[in-house]
Amino acid sequence: MNPGTFLVVDDSKLHHQMYQLIFSRSELAGSTVFHAYDGREGYEMFMAHPELTVVFLDLNMPVMNGLEFLHRRQAEHLHPQVPVVLVTTESTAEDEARGLEAGAWGYLCKPFAPEQLLALVGRASSRLSQRIARP
Amino acid sequence: MTGPDHPFAALLAEYVAECLPLAEEVVEQSLALERAWRDGHQADELFRPLKGTLHTIKGNSAMMGLTGLQTLAHRLEDLWGVLAHEPASRGAGAALFVRGTGLLADLVRATASGPPPEGATTDYLEEVGAFLASDRGAREAAREERRSPDRRAADRRSPKASGEIGADGAVTTIRVDSRRLDALLESFGEAMIAHAGLGEAMRQISARRRPTAEMAQLERAMLGLDRTLKRLEGALLETRLLPIATVFSRFTRLVRDVAHDEGKRVRLEVAGGETRLDKTVIDRLGEPLVHLITNAVIHGIERPDERLAGGKPAEAVITLRAVQRSDRVILTVTDDGRGLDPEGILRKARAIGQAPAVETPSLAEIYALAFLPGLSTADRVSHLSGRGVGLDVVANSIRALSGNVSVGSEPGRGTTFSLRLPLTVAVLRSLLVEVSRERYALPLADVAETVRVRPDTLHQVARQGMMTWRGEVIPVMDGALALGGGAAESRRYCVVLRSAARHRGLLVDSLLGHHDVVVKALDPSLGRPPAVAAATILGDGRVACILDTGRLADGWIEPVAAAAS
Repeated sequence: MNPGTFLVVDDSKLHHQMYQLIFSRSELAGSTVFHAYDGREGYEMFMAHPELTVVFLDLNMPVMNGLEFLHRRQAEHLHPQVPVVLVTTESTAEDEARGLEAGAWGYLCKPFAPEQLLALVGRASSRLSQRIARP
Repeated sequence: MTGPDHPFAALLAEYVAECLPLAEEVVEQSLALERAWRDGHQADELFRPLKGTLHTIKGNSAMMGLTGLQTLAHRLEDLWGVLAHEPASRGAGAALFVRGTGLLADLVRATASGPPPEGATTDYLEEVGAFLASDRGAREAAREERRSPDRRAADRRSPKASGEIGADGAVTTIRVDSRRLDALLESFGEAMIAHAGLGEAMRQISARRRPTAEMAQLERAMLGLDRTLKRLEGALLETRLLPIATVFSRFTRLVRDVAHDEGKRVRLEVAGGETRLDKTVIDRLGEPLVHLITNAVIHGIERPDERLAGGKPAEAVITLRAVQRSDRVILTVTDDGRGLDPEGILRKARAIGQAPAVETPSLAEIYALAFLPGLSTADRVSHLSGRGVGLDVVANSIRALSGNVSVGSEPGRGTTFSLRLPLTVAVLRSLLVEVSRERYALPLADVAETVRVRPDTLHQVARQGMMTWRGEVIPVMDGALALGGGAAESRRYCVVLRSAARHRGLLVDSLLGHHDVVVKALDPSLGRPPAVAAATILGDGRVACILDTGRLADGWIEPVAAAAS
């Protein structure tokens, strides 16, 4: 797994530091990580970066939550190639279905271990390189 | 518990830095809440935001491996749920809640020097467990006592709350996955379309043949079906309505945070939270409201010293109000700030070449310009608003819900944004019209009147079609031109449309009457003409576009052909 470009959208500063820590202690060390603290800020960064490897999107945020982010992205057909992982605490099956319906590529449930996050990134980037290999 | 080998052990100080203020806020608010409840106030603005804050603390604690804190926050959320649904439990429950929040803050604080010892919360958790268990029984008994026999019967007729057991032990309410309701509505839509098809076929048969007893019988059966479908529609839509308080609850904290960042003092007042709207509308209302409220705090409200100098109280008030008017809900966001600057708006509009055609526009017309893309009178860029996302985005998301938005303002006194929203987005009361053999549906709520066009009422002023209507001169546009579907022709009717600033006329060939049409969303990947909001299937199986009257009004400067005689 090679370093990539990531966007973390979360209103908790703590979580941003957790992502940083996980990346820096793994094969992903040296990745570029963009940080946004609410959905709207995140969406603007997302618009500007079609090259993102994965977006980690918190569900509960002030100023545009994760689901609103996904709906807007779906409506605008913005960078459909970029996998967006929805991050939640204790989601119900219904929440999960709603997220996937809105175009989330994957789900990450808090608390998650670094290995879980890395496995998701691995899956996302192999899918991406497969797609590039077979145009 | 977080040991030195926990992956995030290095972030313990960060955890405390983030969670301690949140926990202290929870303590403070629950204390205020306990006081307010004791004085008999509802105090929803204190109560609602607590859940989100507890949820954040829980999530952060879980990530840090602080399972004791995670469990405590989780139990407090449970307790919150009981207090939310059972006002009767608020006496003892509130005291227990306050104690728990205190414990939470203490433990978060203590975490600075290491994870709290195992068992620090055991006693409290047991107490909460006992309360939740005993309270459930007590609640049910209390409810039985309060309920008179009539009331019980009434409850069986219209079950509202969730998961309740009736007096006779039968389930009176069940929780349903909202997607099932969506599917039900979808099927109902198909039934409506089939019904319209049946009606159309019947009309054609009865136009061609002499009336027979069988036909009369068929017509009676159709009328019955008609009424049943209407009732079914009402009942179905009723199940999808949610109180708007579910979206209002997010804003107290938002206002406080933004006001704090901006060095302002602002209080949010909420009225009409019990007003109900379709779930889909509620889901999509959050973002535009966040935008309007953030805007009000940042741009509308003055700094405390400016306010005092202007003879106003230092603390500003933003009022969020919802009220139902027939099949629409009117939502207003009012601030008591400096008001809009009409000259500034006009100057900016002229700068981007969007000034109104009229020489001396009215105030309402000037304010309507504020919704144009690229027009924001704020000179300053803040981190929340003013990033190029303007009022046009708000207007677009409201229009996407078949609603519209307008603004009124009084310099020095404040600004009010009014959002008119349909109760539902599934069925639209509309006027069907025909333009160059194509059929279109116009939302009935936006139609002021329909008039027969007479040549003497139609004029051409500087390439712009104008018409005198009820003593007012209004701009008119040819239907085909407006919809990009061909050339201007002479048309027989004019549909006068309401819009934020002034009335406008759309010239059409014929009026096909009022219909309840089933709204079918367009696939966004297909792209769509700007004036089309959605589509519907008519009785004869033809597809008709539902027009977006707000957008129609945007590009309104085209000539018209001479009117028919």
